[in-house]
Order: sequence, then C-alpha cells, then structure tokens
Amino acid sequence: MSISLEKVTKRFGVTFGVEDVTTLIPSGSLTAILGPSGAGKSTLLRLIGGLVTPDAGRILIDDDDVTFLDPRHRNIGFCFQNYAPFRHMTVAKNVAYGLKVRHRPRAEIADRVAEMLELVRLSDFASRYPAQLSGGEMQRMALARALAIAPRVLLLDEPFGALDAQVRAELRTWIKELHDRIHVTTVLVTHDQNEAMEVADSLIVLNEGRVEQAGSPTDLYDHPASEFVLQFLGPSTTIDGVALRPHDLVIVPTGEGTPATVTEISTLGFEIRIAILLGSGETAWIQQSRAEFDAQPVTIGQSIGITRRDATVSPVGTRLDPRGAADRAPDSAAALTQPTTP
Amino acid sequence: MTDTVTIVPAARRNRARDPHRRQLLPLRAAALLYVALLVGIPVCFLFGKAFSAGLGTFWNQITQPGAVSALELSAKVAAIVVPVNTIVGVGAGMLLARRQFVGKRLLDLTFDVPIAISPIIIGLSLFLAYSKIGAFGPWLFARGVMLVFSVPGVVLATMAVSLPYVLRSIVPVLIEIGESQEQAARTLGAGMWRRLFTITLPAIRWALLYGIAVTLARSLGEFGAVLVVSGNRAGLTQTLPVYIYSAWDQNFNDVGAFSGAVVLAAISISVLIVLSILRARERRLRVDIA
Repeated sequence: MSISLEKVTKRFGVTFGVEDVTTLIPSGSLTAILGPSGAGKSTLLRLIGGLVTPDAGRILIDDDDVTFLDPRHRNIGFCFQNYAPFRHMTVAKNVAYGLKVRHRPRAEIADRVAEMLELVRLSDFASRYPAQLSGGEMQRMALARALAIAPRVLLLDEPFGALDAQVRAELRTWIKELHDRIHVTTVLVTHDQNEAMEVADSLIVLNEGRVEQAGSPTDLYDHPASEFVLQFLGPSTTIDGVALRPHDLVIVPTGEGTPATVTEISTLGFEIRIAILLGSGETAWIQQSRAEFDAQPVTIGQSIGITRRDATVSPVGTRLDPRGAADRAPDSAAALTQPTTP
Repeated sequence: MTDTVTIVPAARRNRARDPHRRQLLPLRAAALLYVALLVGIPVCFLFGKAFSAGLGTFWNQITQPGAVSALELSAKVAAIVVPVNTIVGVGAGMLLARRQFVGKRLLDLTFDVPIAISPIIIGLSLFLAYSKIGAFGPWLFARGVMLVFSVPGVVLATMAVSLPYVLRSIVPVLIEIGESQEQAARTLGAGMWRRLFTITLPAIRWALLYGIAVTLARSLGEFGAVLVVSGNRAGLTQTLPVYIYSAWDQNFNDVGAFSGAVVLAAISISVLIVLSILRARERRLRVDIA
C-alpha cells in the first residue's frame, strides 16, 4: 500500500514540526525517514499513523484519504520507540490484543499469535511478561503485535534506538529479511544514516521539518541535492569551500592538484584517515582503504597534492585499486572547485 | 560457593561496626520515640480505656442503637463517596495527565484545596452554598432537596473532603507510564473505553487501589466538615466520628466514646495495613518500570 503526503504541515512551537511535506512512499517499499534530532521525523511518522493530525495538507494510504481518520480505523502497525509493551500482559496476550479488539474467533487468535511468535522467533517466550524480556526481544514482540492485525503499513519509530550495537546490527538484518518475506510497506524513522542506508530501499531526508531529498540510498549518496544531504549521508570534508566525500580525494605528487601538508594519520581498522593542512590554512581529511594507503604511503609533514576523483563516474571496484586512483590522478585542480551538486 | 559461606557471617559481624549504620542509630531511636509518643502510646491508652470495663461493656456500648446507626451511616456514606470519587478521580486524573487545556492549572489547584484547608472550612463553605439561607439552598429547598442537616449533606461534605486522593495517587503514575501504551492500543483498534479498562487501569492498578484506600479511610474518619453540614442529628445524620464526639463531649459517656473510637480505629488500621501492602507492591511495580 502506498502512502502519499500532500503539502502536510504540522507545527509545534519551534522544533519537531513538519512543513509543507509532499512525498510518495511506494507500495511495498522499506523507507527510512532520516534526519537530525528535532527535524520532525517522528512527527511525520505519527502523522501517517494518525497519532497527530496535520494543520494542513492531506495524507493518503493507498488512495484513501486518512487525514482525519482515527488511528484505530487506519489499520496500521505502529511500533513505538520505547516499544510500548503492555506490561501487565504476557507476550502472547500482547500479540493477541489487536485480534481480540477485532473480535476474531478464539482459535483463529491462537493460531495467528503462534504464527506471529514463530515469525519473530519468540515462540518460547509466549507466557513471559515484558519485564522478563531484553530490549531486542521486546522490540520483536512489539513487531509481532503490530503485524498480527495484518496492517496496511508498518510504521517503526527509531526501531533500533535503545539497543546495544550488536543487537542493533542483528535486528537490522532481521527487519530487512522480514520485509523481504512479508512485503508490507514499511516506514522507519532513524537518525543514523548508516542504519538507514543499510536497511532501507528508499530514503526521505528531513531537515528542520522539510524534505531535503528523497530517493534511493545510492542516489542520495552519489547525487546529494544539497550540502546538508551530502554531509548527513556520509563522511564529508571541505576543500575551497566545496563539501565532498573524503574518499573522493586522491593524493597526487607535489606540484599537481591543490598543495597540502599531511598533519596526522590515523588507522581505524581497515580505514586510514589522513588529516591535511591546505595552503589556505584550512584543514581537511582524506579517507583511504589500507590497501590504497600501502600502495602509496605518505608520512606526517610530507607535502602532497590533492585532487578530486569523479565519484559519480568511478565504480566502487576501481576506487579500491590504488593504481586506478593514480591513473586518474592528473585531474586538474579545477575539479576541486566543481560543485558537488549536479 | 565456599565464598558465600564465609562472607555471610563476616558481613553480619561487621554490621555492628559499620559507621554508616552507627551514624543512623540515634536517628532511628528518635524517629521511633517520636511516633510512639505522638501516636503509638496514646492509641494504646485508648484501647486500654475502651476495654477497661470488660469486653461485655465494650460490646454493649458498640451495639447501642446510636452507635449502630452511626456505624451504618458511615458505611453507607463511604459506599457512595468512594465509588463516586474514584470515578471522578480517574476522569480528572486522565484529563490532567494526558491533555492540555485552558484552565488546567486551575483545575489542578482546585483539587488540592481539600488537602490544604481545614475540613471545617469546607463544611462552612458548603453550608453557605447549600443551606436554606445559602446561595442555592432556597432554589433546592423549593424542589424538595435538602443538602444541609441531612444525609445527602453528609455525603456531600464527605465527598468534598475526600475528593483529591484518587487523583493525587494516580496522576504521577499516569505521567510516568506515559501515553504510548494507550496509543499502541489505539493503533491496534481499541476504542476509548477498551483502552481505559484493558490498558490504563491495569497499568495504574496499585496506585489506584492505594488512592481508593486513602479515600475510604478519609471518608470514614471525616469529622469537621460533616459536623457542620450534618447538624449532628443523633440517629439520623450522625456518622461514627460525630457520634464519638457527641458521646464524649455532650453525653459524658466516656466508655461509649472510647468503644466507638476503637471500632473506628480498628477499621482505619485495617485499611492502613492493606495500604502498606499495596504500597509495597506498587513500589515493586515501579522498580519493574525502571
């Protein structure tokens, strides 16, 4: 089921509102609403879920105008940031809640609950209470509860927010797999761009309540519509006032490209970060793979030239090849001043 | 395993010398003495006096028609006041904890008035509003409604005095648990009443029971406001506390007063015990939430 927002505005004081949002979330997609805190991400999700009513604009779920429809009649699955478990009910009762509300026959409820618990791998936890679950388990219970009613759309508010790194990573993969299996249109809110890029097949980047850009993760990463999107969606550094990706910078012999001095080299596992000082007094940094660095090592204090490789043309494979990068090295310094926005 | 065996007695041995505990000893002694002098010992005297002429006399005193009707009236009043104030308290509590509206702070403050001011002031205020010479009295009287010097008056006064307790005990818990469970139920299709009965009330049940118990204790024990509004009509508008006061002050029936007091105290202490159990359970619940 597709979700369409038309000129949706909701204001609350200074932050968290959304302003004139028009966007289409395609049917069956896994869309991430991404943005810094206070950008209005959760508000947008709550607007779709009906927990908040817009000041202006229309919201359509699959061509039904739901703008003023009570959330209880929207047939949506909503997972809250704190999971909102019903603490006085067992896991099974939590999952059964929406079905009981719908007065389904008892046997059908039992079957559906069993099926859902199987899906979220909580079958052995059916008679436990939420207080006896870990964060990840509680999140899965909340998902089962939301999915039990066969919702038209699944809305997840910061689904990985309160979990530790390893559980986050697991749950991320799992949600992606789940989505591949059940194909329900899913919208999730996150402030973590890596998470969004990994999980989602489409992104909506929000900033100060407005949509900065929407599209596929690769598209947004490679063709950011604004400096904000560029900076938000990945590492960035600024050369001569132009923001670009630090892995798009290539070291060339002195005399070529923009002159710079290496000030610091740090190793972060597979990644090498080279901090540089430009002739203008600005600082910037270059991101390289270990192999790239080893093929053309530099030392602190060394004078180098830097230039920008054309990110949009260079395929990922050649980027990791240091000789490939070197071949491309004699880019003119003018390349640096090219705006990154197409 | 052997560790635990050796550690436990050592811990016990060290306890007497633990400076943190030693420092608290005088404070503990002072607190106990204070409570004993103020409440414990006087109540013991009361029980002693009530039974001083024997169990038979005690039984005679509490089965006198005046005492029985007073106890009955107190029970009846509580039976009306407690449910009404529970419903009002839950409704107002939801309003205060979940909604923003004009006049919210005023409503919040008004609910605290019965806690802050003396019950006798409530009684006098009700008198001024609803007695025959009061503001609404003549209008009500013309329609056959007598709210002062009558059982409805006693109910009214008790209701006013015990109004805040359910509200005050549930609002902090409502705020603490937040709205998300109710919202989740709503997205799952539950209507307002279903959300209230299947999500909200179970979530706040211990605090609610605590509030109900305090309301009950307050309704049974209310004296000042009831005295003013009831007109103290023996056998008609005398609640148990008013009966005790009259026995002692006007009828010079000390043993009667003390016997009645013991009955009232016994009921209140039972409520207190139930309360302390509920409180402990609620505290455990809060630990769960945290």
